Amino acid sequence: MKRTNLLSGFFFLLLVAVPAAGAGAEEKAVIGAVEEVLLLPWGVKLLARVDTGATTTSLDARHLKVEENIATFQLPDRYEGMVIRVPVVSWKEVRSAGGKEKRPVVEMDLCIGARRIRARVNLNDRSMVNHSLILGRNVLRRHFVVDVTRARVQDPVCPVPRKTEKQTPPAPHPLPIPE
Amino acid sequence: MKWSRLFPAVFFLIGLAHPFLLPAGEKVVIGEIEDVLLLPWKIRIPARIDTGAALSSLDARDLRVEGGFAHFKLSQKLGGTPLRLPVIDWLDIRSAEASERRPIVEIDLCIGSRKVRTRVNLNDRSKVRYPLLIGRNTLREHFIVDCLQERCAPPSCEEASSP
Repeated sequence: MKRTNLLSGFFFLLLVAVPAAGAGAEEKAVIGAVEEVLLLPWGVKLLARVDTGATTTSLDARHLKVEENIATFQLPDRYEGMVIRVPVVSWKEVRSAGGKEKRPVVEMDLCIGARRIRARVNLNDRSMVNHSLILGRNVLRRHFVVDVTRARVQDPVCPVPRKTEKQTPPAPHPLPIPE
Repeated sequence: MKWSRLFPAVFFLIGLAHPFLLPAGEKVVIGEIEDVLLLPWKIRIPARIDTGAALSSLDARDLRVEGGFAHFKLSQKLGGTPLRLPVIDWLDIRSAEASERRPIVEIDLCIGSRKVRTRVNLNDRSKVRYPLLIGRNTLREHFIVDCLQERCAPPSCEEASSP
């Protein structure tokens, strides 16, 4: 009897200690190569490319303009061209094939699975690219591990504030309608 | 029979089973940057692990294609080894500025404890930091990427460690 108790104690310790030792990785949720992300508080669901090669997260912002430190832009047509206004928190200099470029950085809440993550997102016109949102390492690092064999693993399930759900926040200056 | 008498058995069973309960145990966890070995030459190449890239890519200098073979050199930093590999496909890249065709070859890599045969496209990567980009074609089925880590899976394939 004593021996079995000792044995069970050993396995109990193993059970507690092993996952705790690997806690850094264990707490993270697995996501796939593409994931659905809910943009809060706007409640827009976007299909995001999960990109460990990208330092930061970026969002396809059409008709982007910055006035008095507020970025105003439109999401692509498939998101009903929703207009978003959000304060600029910094600027990011990006080197690309075309040369140097400065992009406004804003803060947004991203809901991935059951997690609501406040993240810095840089804005640029990505009309050439398939995915409207690129999840970079700034979001992935602490929260997720990526398995590219899979896709749409987590369903975004954060509560959406009712008032702003599927509604466009009022834009004081109406944006030009794209052709 | 008291329930407490069952505890040892329950913990014993959970204890036995729990290594199999861990998620994705069969896949190797790698970081955002890893040193990988190019086999059979055992050349150590620092690689960016990039789930945003569909196809892996290798830095090839003085690249030319003749008679279905790609002739190129690795960068001086990696020893400048001249290589000759059959071209198995071509990658067409269309960007706003220009269009480009890159040869695709197959190479053997040791990443973490896994030896994988994988396709890479060849191009001059002298302007980017990492001479090797590991894309989704290589990661699929084998690896899980954890961006909190860097160089957490040093190459340890059986073949690579033999003299």
